[in-house]
Amino acid sequence: MKKFIFAVFIAFWASVGTVAVLQVLTPEPPTGDDPDSPAVFDLGEVAEHDSLDDCWMVIEGKVYDFTDYVGQHPAPPSVLEPWCGKQATEGMRTKGIGRDHSPAAWAMLDDYRIGKLADD
Amino acid sequence: MVIRARLARILVWALALVPVVFFLAGLRPADFDDVPGLLNVLGRLTGVLGLAFLLLSAALSARVPGFDLPFGGLTRLWNTHHLLGASALVLLLLHPLLLAFSAQGYGQGLAFETLFPPLSDLATWGGWLALLLMMTFLAPSFSFFGPPDYERWKRVHDLAPFAVILALAHTFLFSRTMPAHLDIVVWAGFALLAVGAVLWRFVFSRRVGRLPYAVVQVDRPANNVIELTLEPKRRGLRYRAGNFVYMTPFDSELEAGCGEEHPYTLSSSPREPNLRIAIKDLGNASRALQSIQCGSRVTVEGPYGRFFKNPDDVPIPELWISGGIGVTPFLARMRHLDRLDQGGDIRFIYCVQDEARALYLEELRALAGTIPGFGLIPHYFYRQGPLSAAFLREHCGDIEQREVYICGPQPLNRLAQSHLRALGVDRWSIHTEEFELL
Repeated sequence: MKKFIFAVFIAFWASVGTVAVLQVLTPEPPTGDDPDSPAVFDLGEVAEHDSLDDCWMVIEGKVYDFTDYVGQHPAPPSVLEPWCGKQATEGMRTKGIGRDHSPAAWAMLDDYRIGKLADD
Repeated sequence: MVIRARLARILVWALALVPVVFFLAGLRPADFDDVPGLLNVLGRLTGVLGLAFLLLSAALSARVPGFDLPFGGLTRLWNTHHLLGASALVLLLLHPLLLAFSAQGYGQGLAFETLFPPLSDLATWGGWLALLLMMTFLAPSFSFFGPPDYERWKRVHDLAPFAVILALAHTFLFSRTMPAHLDIVVWAGFALLAVGAVLWRFVFSRRVGRLPYAVVQVDRPANNVIELTLEPKRRGLRYRAGNFVYMTPFDSELEAGCGEEHPYTLSSSPREPNLRIAIKDLGNASRALQSIQCGSRVTVEGPYGRFFKNPDDVPIPELWISGGIGVTPFLARMRHLDRLDQGGDIRFIYCVQDEARALYLEELRALAGTIPGFGLIPHYFYRQGPLSAAFLREHCGDIEQREVYICGPQPLNRLAQSHLRALGVDRWSIHTEEFELL
């Protein structure tokens, strides 16, 4: 058993090391606004979609339609409902006790993006 | 007894499945839609099961006297503790990796961000710290960097409560392993067990569990073995023949081991007013103890172990096999049977290199002469070679009918067990006492 545990221990650090090395070696993807989502909404338009059946949110200046995602969210829909039709960056950044959503959750946002918030 | 011990172990492992059941009940079909989703489920599952194993392992570490009996003795209880700890480490090493691999499925670089988020992500970093502490305090247990020194192993193992607390904080901050508030209820229940065990170990056992004794006599049955006679300063320990205790000496003139606890088998009969403990020079602490002063203070915690099924009589014929200082529990039982005037059909094969190295041989011969039905059979390695199946059969024709008790060095233990199995002895009839806990 000792040999097996030691092998798992080594494999763990080898995997963590591989993830770290790949991160260093992979070039940064280009950043900037996606030209494919030109739609611009103001907060008034977003506020019209404030129910679980029609749920839009603004997160960090971008507008998302989460209507199809509500049922897939790990926490119950009642957790999402107060944020529908509103600025929801705080909700995204402070899940649970002041804790951010995971990087994977942030990455999933792109699938629901419909535009950006109009500048004041 | 064997079946009860098995049931107790199964119960512990089954208890670990409680949070898993709640976790699985909270999953939805959408969680299995794609590979990253599946990896995420597995990542969370390894976290849940790993934490359950860790907390139960902590709960079993309490060493409350008597609590080890349903498990078949403290050594067996610690075997379960050890296996739970090993399983927890493997699962909790897989846990962050599976979550990182899952995140990578949602975008480039996300595996790295999952493993190494910004420092403000206290939940993740708390988990990392718990895992690093676990690797540190378990490294000596699994001999990662060579065989550990007993006292250093114990000191490093004291990091365990901190790892448990951080792991719990990590889980509570994420609070999404189970539906609704079930996670708080379930983990709080497990945490109570673990915290109760830690409190017993570090607070109550030191104040209530340790009985004060004084060394009133030091005998030397051999040049590297002493037998201490301990007189109780308060109430005396209640125990059965073959039990062992943790003894802590407080003789400041000892070269090593002052204030350190170590396990030793009692060599006295429970009917004696004082305790007797035979100690062989096997390490730094036991070597230093060879020069312990008469009159010095010790504390004794116990009793532990459940070697003999029936320590006070012999309802079923028995075969005893011992070697070296492994003679101690048998000596205790012989002294006890003698005091009780209790006879019984016992064959005792005492394996030593030669007669000069046989511990307590004169006393054993005298006791064998007074206990009706007792047969002492010395086996001398230098003259007769390793213990053989033929030797066992020759001196014990009805070996399959006997309860067999073995206590001695590991090679003798393994050899005796393989002969016994080959001779048709049921494995449930073979009882061993092992002190190599690592």
